[in-house]
Amino acid sequence: MRRLRWWHIPLGIAAVAFAVFWVLVLSGQKTWFSEQPPLMIIPDMDDQFRVDPQEASRFFADRRSFRTPPEHTVPRNASAYPFGQADVAEAEKRFPTAPIPATPFVLALGKNRYEAFCQPCHGPEGKGDGTIVQRGFVQPPDLTRPEARAYSDGRIFHVISAGQNIMPSYAGKLTEPERWAIVHYIRKLQQSAMTAAAVPAGAGALSQVNKRGEGQ
Amino acid sequence: MFTPRTDRRIKQVVLWGLGSLLTAALVTYFGMHNRVTDVGYRPQQPVPFSHKLHVGELGIKCVYCHAGVERSAHSPVPTVSTCMGCHLVVKAESPRLALVRQAYENGTPLEWRRVHKLPDYVHFNHARHIRAGIDCASCHGPVERMGVVSQVAPLSMGWCLDCHRNPERYIIPAREISGIFTGLRANGQTVQLAQSTPVTNPPYGMWSTPVDTPEIAGVPMPKLPGRGPENCSSCHY
Repeated sequence: MRRLRWWHIPLGIAAVAFAVFWVLVLSGQKTWFSEQPPLMIIPDMDDQFRVDPQEASRFFADRRSFRTPPEHTVPRNASAYPFGQADVAEAEKRFPTAPIPATPFVLALGKNRYEAFCQPCHGPEGKGDGTIVQRGFVQPPDLTRPEARAYSDGRIFHVISAGQNIMPSYAGKLTEPERWAIVHYIRKLQQSAMTAAAVPAGAGALSQVNKRGEGQ
Repeated sequence: MFTPRTDRRIKQVVLWGLGSLLTAALVTYFGMHNRVTDVGYRPQQPVPFSHKLHVGELGIKCVYCHAGVERSAHSPVPTVSTCMGCHLVVKAESPRLALVRQAYENGTPLEWRRVHKLPDYVHFNHARHIRAGIDCASCHGPVERMGVVSQVAPLSMGWCLDCHRNPERYIIPAREISGIFTGLRANGQTVQLAQSTPVTNPPYGMWSTPVDTPEIAGVPMPKLPGRGPENCSSCHY
């Protein structure tokens, strides 16, 4: 056993720190942020000569791999929404009623789609009090007002598909069945708004407070 | 052959040399793991978009912008028109949105920097995983708390297989904030169980990056359809 020298102490501390550092790193408990792309030790076929979705392309002059479809074409297994914002009458003629029934599954889908795509502006109950409106977006009209209750299914579908005024079209984000599911869910919201209007004002206000509290 | 002094010196050199080589090899071998090289990649984006504001505060769900992720292998980065759907009105003059407006007006692409990238010989299907009720946060971490998105999972093959073998240990079930539709269960409830529940840290370094406020897992796990496949051709085809 050799004599302990003064420099053994810092050396020991350094060795322990080194070991602890690697244990932390290798166990995934310690990491740091980097703006540099991950280091590629052996990049063999990680980046192949092909274009991934939305990747920049060297082939096209504008470097877009996300091409605009040529005019008068539609993707396979999809249909473009044929009407513009103003073609309400044609849309109502084309879609007199919802082609899918309001089964529990469709309503669940409609609720999910409504909450994801409509609620930011229209609010959880269709009153036009979404979070985006509170941040300065134009307040959309109440979906449960009597006028909207009188709209045909086809008209609501048309507004979702083609947009209306400042509201953009959602035909690119939502499939046709999803949009019909939303129509059914809006009908359900309108019904529950009518039911809520029928109960005394005090009870309604109380339930409103509870709803707000839940959201927090 | 040598004097005892030289002999000792040679022994020292050989031992120290071997020891250093072994240490260097171990550190290189383990230190070059994705957990070290990839996790924490946090590039500055051309537009300072904050998921913390849009998702965390405003409650816009993942699928609003990344629409189509439930139907396709690729999770799309939203088009500029998605941004402008709101920003034509909200913060319409903001200098931070100059690049978005420019791309919108000229029809030129806005070049975001990709954070999560798998090698080209691996196929990951987003739609398939979402259908199984797996939340975005299982792999992407609590994006709703990130001002600048960073990679939290190593995305290595061992990491994929860990979860394919023991999904119940790692998966975060679909949360309301993701907005993903996972269908109906027998009792008529959608599978979105963990409503507004904070993201929990999975048991072992599933995400290696520490999150702001790690919570202990108290989330009921839904019955998962089963384990993931382990055939080579499931992912390498």
